[in-house]
Amino acid sequence: MGSLTVEQQAGYWVGRFKAMASPCEVLMEASNRSDAVALAQSAYDEVKRIEQKFSRYRDDNIIYKINTSQGRAVEVDDEMANLLDYADHCYQLSEGRFDITSGLLRQAWKFDGSANLPPMELIERLKSSISWKKVDWQRPYITLPSGMEIDLGGIGKEYAVDTSINLLKQKTAASLLINFGGDLAVTAPRKSGGGWCVAVDSPDRVGSSTGQEIELKQGALATSGDAQRYLLKEGVRYSHILDPTTGWPVVDAPRSVTVFAASCTEAGILASLSMMHGSGAEAFLNEQQIKSWVVR
Amino acid sequence: MQLKNRTLRRQLSLATCALLTGIPGQASSADWVVDAGVMSYSESDRVSAVKTIATGQRLTEETTISVTVLVDTLTGASPNGASAATTSQTFTTASGTAYTATEKETPLRDFEDTRTAISSSWEQVLNRLFRLKLGADISTEDDYDSLGLNASLSRDFNNRLTTVTVGAAITQDTITPSGGTPVERSATDGTTLAIQSKEEEKSTTDLLLGVTQILSRTTLTQLNYSYSLVDGYMSDPYKIVSEVDAVTGNTTGYRYEKRPDSRIRQSVNWTTAHHLTEDVVHFTYRYFWDDWGIDSHTFDLKYRYEIGAGHYLQPQVRYYMQSAADFYRHSLVDSEVLPNYLSSDQRLGEMSSYTIGLKYGFPVFTDGRLSLRIAYMQQSGDSSPSDAIGSQKQVDLFPTLEAMIVNVNFNIPF
Repeated sequence: MGSLTVEQQAGYWVGRFKAMASPCEVLMEASNRSDAVALAQSAYDEVKRIEQKFSRYRDDNIIYKINTSQGRAVEVDDEMANLLDYADHCYQLSEGRFDITSGLLRQAWKFDGSANLPPMELIERLKSSISWKKVDWQRPYITLPSGMEIDLGGIGKEYAVDTSINLLKQKTAASLLINFGGDLAVTAPRKSGGGWCVAVDSPDRVGSSTGQEIELKQGALATSGDAQRYLLKEGVRYSHILDPTTGWPVVDAPRSVTVFAASCTEAGILASLSMMHGSGAEAFLNEQQIKSWVVR
Repeated sequence: MQLKNRTLRRQLSLATCALLTGIPGQASSADWVVDAGVMSYSESDRVSAVKTIATGQRLTEETTISVTVLVDTLTGASPNGASAATTSQTFTTASGTAYTATEKETPLRDFEDTRTAISSSWEQVLNRLFRLKLGADISTEDDYDSLGLNASLSRDFNNRLTTVTVGAAITQDTITPSGGTPVERSATDGTTLAIQSKEEEKSTTDLLLGVTQILSRTTLTQLNYSYSLVDGYMSDPYKIVSEVDAVTGNTTGYRYEKRPDSRIRQSVNWTTAHHLTEDVVHFTYRYFWDDWGIDSHTFDLKYRYEIGAGHYLQPQVRYYMQSAADFYRHSLVDSEVLPNYLSSDQRLGEMSSYTIGLKYGFPVFTDGRLSLRIAYMQQSGDSSPSDAIGSQKQVDLFPTLEAMIVNVNFNIPF
C-alpha cells in the first residue's frame, strides 16, 4: 500500500502505483528522474485525494455523510457540487439510465459467472429506493431520502484521470499518459510528433492484446465491460451493467466498449451509456459519431 | 433520433467540460447565453446617458456565434466649444431658440440622441491550431451612421501556451447633421450657418497584432499593437471656438472648428492577469499616440476578491493622462492669422482623469449571474492656462468634469 515506483524505459519514464483497487501508471517524457518522480507523486496524491473524498467504502468522507444523513440536507463543497450537477445532467441526458443512486442494486446482483439470479421481490424492493428524481439537489444542498444511497463509482476513476491530467498539465508541458486501471488520457503529442501506443484488452484474455493498437496523441480512452463479471443462465449472458430503470442487467450488451473522447470522464459515460443500449450499442455509437471499439 | 443523440453528445461534452474546469453553471445544456445590461452615465449638470445592451451567444464545440444589440439614449448638454467669458453669451440652439450662458459659465449645447447598434460575429475553429473570427456591425443615430466589417485569425503555438492573433477591420461612417455641416473655420455669430455640405464621410482601417502568452498556471499576459488609419471628416459639426480680443481677452466672435482629414492612430496595450489562490488581479497599461500630437497613457488596476459561494467584489482604479493635439486651442486671438486647423474640444486638450469603481457580482437563479458596478470619474485640465489674456484670467478655461457611472449586468443561459 502506498508504494510508488518510478523506472526508466526507452525514451520515457513510468511511475506505477496501486489506487482505487486498480493498477495505475503514469508514462512521462520527463527529462530526468527527479521530475518524473515529482510528476508521478502528484498523480498518486491526486488519485488518493479523490479516492478518500469520494469512495463509498469509507466512513470519513462526504459520501458517507450523505448516505447516513437520514433525510437531512447536507451541504457539499464546490467539487462535490460540480460532480452532483454533472450526475444530474447525465441522469437527464440518459433518461434515467445513468443514476448515482443505483448502487443498491449490487446487493441483489452478484456477478460471479454463476447462474444465480436474485429473487424478483428483492429487486423490486431495492428499486423503490433508486431514483435520482427522488433526491432533492439544490446546489450546494443535497437531501437524500432515508434508505437511499449515492455512489460516484460510475465516474470516479475516469474523473481522477482527468483531474490528474489537468494537474500535471499545469506542472509540465511534456507529453504524458495517465492510465488508471485501463481508463486513460494523454496530454499532448510526444516529442517525436507521434502518440502513445495503447492496446485495447480483450475481455476474454485480460492483459493480452486483441491486436487492436491505438496511437493516442491527445484525448482519452475509457472502457466499459469486464470479462469476469457476468451471469450466465439458460444461455443468456447477463452483463454486470445494470439498468436502473428496470433493476436488471442489460441483455445482449457488448463484452466491452472502449470510447475515445476529449476527456476520460466523457469517454467513460459514453462507454457506459452505449452498454446500456444492449444489442443497440453499436447503433448508438454510430449515431453519435463516437470513435469506439466494441468487443462482442 | 439521430438529431437527439447528437444533441446528447454535445450536451455531455459541455457538462464534462464544466465539471473538469470547475466552473459551475457552465454545465448548462443551454444553446444560447444571453447577457443583458443597463449602464447609466451622468455628468453633474450635463450629459446623462442610458445604455441598454443585450448579447446573445451560441456556443458549440467549434463555432461561436454572437449577436449584440445596443440602444444608447443620450440627453443633456455638452460644451459647445466656446470659452467661458466675463460677460453673458447668447447662442442659437439646434431647435432655433436662443440660449444664454451667464457670465463665467461654460457655454453648452443641448442635445438628445438615440443610437441603435447591432453587431454580430462568427468564430470558427479551423483546425487544432487555427481560429477564424469574422464580424460585422452597423449603427445608426439621428446624424451618424456607421458600417463595419472585421476579421481576425489566431494561431496557437508552443503547446497552446502562446496565441498569436492578426486582425483587420474597415469602418465607413456617414455624418449628416441636421441642416448640413458648417463651413469649417467660418465665422459664426451663433445664429447663421454657412453650409459646407449635407453629408460627410469618414473611413477607418484598423490593423491589429496580438500575442497572448500563458506564463504559468496562474499568470496570463497579452500584448496588442494596433494601427489605425482614418480618412475623411473628423470635425465636430456642432463645435465652435471663441475668438477674443488680443488685449482685453473679451469674446469678439466664434468660428467653427476644423480638424485634419487624416489621422494615424497607434497603440500598444499590455494586460496581465494573475490568479492568486482564489482572487484575480488584472493590470492594463496602454500607450496611445497619433499624428495629431496626442500621446496618452492609461493605467488600470482591478482586483477581483472572491467572497465565496460565487459572490465577488471587484474594486478598480484607473488613471489616464494625455497631451494636447497640435491644433487644440482654448480660444483664438482675433488679430492672429487663422490657423489651418483648430478645435477647442477638451477631449483633444491636455488633461488627466481618474476613475474609481466597485463591482459586486453574484449568482442568481440556477445558472445566471448578476453584477452591479458603481464608478466615479473626474477629468481635469489646465483651468488657468498661462496664455490666457485679460478677462480670460477670471474664467475657467478647462472646467473639471465629474461623472457617476452605474452598470447593471445580467447573464443567463437559455
